Amino acid sequence: MKSLRVCVIAATALLAFAFPSLTQVKSYKDIKTPALRKVNPPQPKRVQLDNGMVIYLMVDHELPLIRATANIRGGERDEPIEKAGLVDIYGGSWRTGGTQTKTGDELDEFLESRAARIETSGDDDSTAASFDVLKEDFDTVFPVYLDLLRNPAFRQDKIDLAKTFERTRISRRNDEPGEITGREAQKLGYGPNSPYTHQPEYSTVAAITRDDLLAFHKRFVHPNNIIFGVVGDFDPAQMESKLRQAFASWPRGPQAPPPATVSNPAKPGLYFVAKSDVTQASIAMVHPGIQRNNPDYYAVAVMNEILSNGFSGRLMQHLRSARGLTYGVGGGFQAPWDHPGLFMTRMSTKSGTTLESIDALKGEITDLTTKPFTAEELAQAKESVLNAFVFTMDSPAKVLNQQILLEFYGFPPDYFQKYPSNIEKVTAADVARVAKKYVNPNQLAVLVVGNEKDFEKPLSSIGTVSSIDVTIPEGGTTPKAAAAAKPASGNAEGMALLKKVQDFAGGKAKLDAITAVRTTTSASRKTPQGNMDIEVESVMVFPDRQRSVMKMPMGEMTIVMTPEASFMVLPGMGTRDVPASQRDAARADARQEMLTILKNPDKYTFAVTGTEKVGGVDAKILEVSSDGDSVKWYVDPATGKVLRKVSRGRGPMAQGDQVTDFTAWGTFGGITVPTAFTLTANGEQIGSGQVKSVEINPVVDPAMWQKPAS
Amino acid sequence: MRTASFVMLVALIAGAAAQAQDLAAFEKRTTVKKLDNGLTVILTERHDAPVFSYATVVNVGASQEVLGITGLAHMFEHMAFKGSDLIGTKDYEAEQVALKKVEQAYAAYDTERRRTTGRDDAKVKQLEKAWRDAIAEADKYVVTDEFSTVVDRVGGVGMNAGTSNDITIYFYSLPSNRFELWAYLESERFRNPVFREFYKERDVVQEERRMRSESSPIGRLFLQFQATAFAAHPYGVPTIGWMSDLQSFSATDARAFFDKYYVPANTVIAIVGDVNSAEAMPIIDKYFGRLPKKPLPEPLRTIEPPQNAERTVVLHETSQPFYLEGYHRPAATDSDDPVYSVLTMLLSTGRTSRLYKSMIRDKKIAAQASGFNNFPGGKYPNLFTFLVVPAAGHSAQEMMPPIQAELDRIKTEDVPADELKSVKTRARAGLLRALDNNGGLARQLALVQTYYGDWRELFRNLDRIEKVTPADIKRVANQTFQPNNRTVAYIESNRPAATASKGEAK
Repeated sequence: MKSLRVCVIAATALLAFAFPSLTQVKSYKDIKTPALRKVNPPQPKRVQLDNGMVIYLMVDHELPLIRATANIRGGERDEPIEKAGLVDIYGGSWRTGGTQTKTGDELDEFLESRAARIETSGDDDSTAASFDVLKEDFDTVFPVYLDLLRNPAFRQDKIDLAKTFERTRISRRNDEPGEITGREAQKLGYGPNSPYTHQPEYSTVAAITRDDLLAFHKRFVHPNNIIFGVVGDFDPAQMESKLRQAFASWPRGPQAPPPATVSNPAKPGLYFVAKSDVTQASIAMVHPGIQRNNPDYYAVAVMNEILSNGFSGRLMQHLRSARGLTYGVGGGFQAPWDHPGLFMTRMSTKSGTTLESIDALKGEITDLTTKPFTAEELAQAKESVLNAFVFTMDSPAKVLNQQILLEFYGFPPDYFQKYPSNIEKVTAADVARVAKKYVNPNQLAVLVVGNEKDFEKPLSSIGTVSSIDVTIPEGGTTPKAAAAAKPASGNAEGMALLKKVQDFAGGKAKLDAITAVRTTTSASRKTPQGNMDIEVESVMVFPDRQRSVMKMPMGEMTIVMTPEASFMVLPGMGTRDVPASQRDAARADARQEMLTILKNPDKYTFAVTGTEKVGGVDAKILEVSSDGDSVKWYVDPATGKVLRKVSRGRGPMAQGDQVTDFTAWGTFGGITVPTAFTLTANGEQIGSGQVKSVEINPVVDPAMWQKPAS
Repeated sequence: MRTASFVMLVALIAGAAAQAQDLAAFEKRTTVKKLDNGLTVILTERHDAPVFSYATVVNVGASQEVLGITGLAHMFEHMAFKGSDLIGTKDYEAEQVALKKVEQAYAAYDTERRRTTGRDDAKVKQLEKAWRDAIAEADKYVVTDEFSTVVDRVGGVGMNAGTSNDITIYFYSLPSNRFELWAYLESERFRNPVFREFYKERDVVQEERRMRSESSPIGRLFLQFQATAFAAHPYGVPTIGWMSDLQSFSATDARAFFDKYYVPANTVIAIVGDVNSAEAMPIIDKYFGRLPKKPLPEPLRTIEPPQNAERTVVLHETSQPFYLEGYHRPAATDSDDPVYSVLTMLLSTGRTSRLYKSMIRDKKIAAQASGFNNFPGGKYPNLFTFLVVPAAGHSAQEMMPPIQAELDRIKTEDVPADELKSVKTRARAGLLRALDNNGGLARQLALVQTYYGDWRELFRNLDRIEKVTPADIKRVANQTFQPNNRTVAYIESNRPAATASKGEAK
């Protein structure tokens, strides 16, 4: 009996264990939580080669895959601002441009038939080359990966493709309100021309050459700048020996520079970008923030949680759930690993509640510095972080990536192990202190993107509004910063050569006597639809009036540019103003006209920058610069004849530099000018033309500058 | 809370496949249970880390709406975060009374303001005030976002939900010691949801519509595309709903919708992670067994008639161009579905795909050219769709001929053996890579179970893709890619590419 009884008790206990209590649970607070299984994930093995390369190996047998990434120091913040977009083009054409022995297209076939991937990319502070293969393909794919890492070819066709993508991104950057807000807020926070807000333009992309990409590669891709991480289904000893064999003989190179510094933030105040095709305003508030190594970081991280951790944060609860003002709201301190970041909050709301929302969002930011953090808020924030911490290391790949991150930025390897206890230590007083120290409602730049006519009140009713012009500059308009960063300066040799060019054209006296020129040219231009013949009659009245009438297959088009007006008459479309960016491009082109330059040399600088063969002649390269823009003349030093002109292509269709080769000259009224030319871009002839007549100082009817009534 | 990501998710399933031996491995660690009330639960054990993910899929989407309540399936998804009689309230008894008054006041206000003749504006104002006062009274009992706050606090990550034209899905991940708490919260959400703060959340959903569908050019384009391609079937109605409906429907409407469609037999839950099936199933029984058994809603009646005429819709916008081209195709359950999967990959997956080579790499007229299946859903006959992003300086219309050229090729020439082999190899590896994380796997298991009635189809689909022949591809391409079966929608840019800029005054 006794033993039976024990059995029954045991069975009951077992039942109680196997089946939860059948009584109804009324509240989640009544549910017992067992202790979480101890988490102690294996760490990757670290190997440092003699050449400085660091390798991390992490075994993961879950799936028959091997994945690896070389993280390479040097990124967008290291590119020259006048070549903004260089790292995008670099990352975009490294893989697709192939190796010395295999074209990118051959790589595509080779990899995709094996369901393998090799990819390259560029980021703010680094570039990366990665692969992802089924384990049985490792030995086939890895040598190709190594070849690409060390011997990329950067073939021109794929550079052009990457540039097409980049120009497409530029052309679309003002289409989505959220994108405008994110980008412009970042620029306000870091200030104009910060290394962290490089903005590619058509002109900066056009300026990027294959040599630039090769130079970037040569500057950064060295073993001592690389942290290589591999994870997957492999034998660690074998893998280590394969990697040592692959990388050990690679010689060291120069060290990457330290992180670029930031910043000169915009003045606090109200900034506005007009966008007409939206029913919502998009709002951002931003000021400078902190860096990750700041000892206050943990308290700031807890404050971030209180402000905007999902639906338990103040922003969502107050502005979305309780007021229905917005669908998306969030923000906080970003705290990048190696440079100071920003404090930024963002939301969007219907146009009619824009000012109400600005006030509400600003109120939440102010409350951080004035409204005490409750014990409940602190507990919610800390427990959220601590309980979810297991998700930062729930796969071998995540653990590997953490170690790579710490190595890259020079943080101690136990940083994440200590993270929970550092969060644990944060008190309500700490959070209040850091909020007062780092949040500054009076220093905010407030950005609004939207349709002001639908706002409940004009923005100006709450402060002085600075409008931001986000017009995308045409190809020729170099960013002002580039001009400032690289002041054009002439040299004596340049001035002497200029004199030769002037003399060849007819001499200074005759040039000075020109008041106007009428030219008729017949040209042919290659287009996607085939060759197009154009007859151009152009009248220039110096210094700044120009009228061109172009006869094309689809009809006649007239463009008139004067200081007072710029308009065009299009076939079947009547008269319209030339859009601002096109006008600027046309004016930039006009400034580079040969006669304009020769008549007003004091507005330009002239520098001889080299010598190059043009059709058997050792031509001197004369760089003519003004306003940050420049054109190169290839001059026969014996005669002063300009044999070739190289100018920057303008507009989204521009394919890099445009080369004009002059092949014949004629003299009209004592002035000698080229009368035949060919146009080349990217090594491909895209057009040619013949000057049919030139009239110096023709009679000009003033009516031709008048805009016709339409 | 999300609506847009759905195309991707469904496309992933349609294209997924894996090695047959993986199915055996998965079956070993997978338990399927149908509760007495009809709820299906799938549990896949994976004990690497002490965490688990889940996805609940309810077989109801925007297709179950009728005019007047469009957007309601998505609206309910938002309400599923608002708690129950036990979560989110300070005093349910009193709150219940207050909420009843809100509904009465709203009905009076809504009826008056929508009168087309003899409307008394002063009365509308007065009724609106009474309604808003009733809301303020009911709000006194609300514990704001208690449901989400609890999930956050115990370490929940990735909490979100989505509604498509087909289904509604809820998901997040938790540390595995919170399994019982999860079972309580997830069942509680569907046991007796309380529609508190309904009208404020309706404002939030309107903001979501403004963000996704009104203030975004691509959002505006998709809206027109769908509405044009479907004349009869509810796939023509956007998941987000028409604005007038979002400004009219009531909590009472939402409750009726919930009662009809949120039925255990219409619901699948998949769990993947560090959960022991023998311990978990009794817990699931205990909590989800509380949901009452109800009859399944009747299936949808309307079938989209054959198109018989090409349709084109053009949006004249100040933004850059986009191009969409869609062809009606059968539902995802059709035996030709794997052929469509192969077509998608041949045409647009990877740098060896035909549209990439032609339009992006060689002609350089497009920055992106993708073909995808099952838009806007897969449950019913739907669209095979091409989405093209023209490169700077190129118009949407230029995208048409090169797509046609590739379709003509695929209709007339056999796909070479090595090209087809490459596609099949990548389909296999694609599923393998997708199995990598708990959350993604849970969502796929629940979706496949809902769409096909058996989660194993996720793996079996590979065998079907493996059997696709060049003749199948030609046959399906010829029956699908016909002008009368086509809908084209594109954005024509009012401005030259280079001058797209600030919102110029019109």
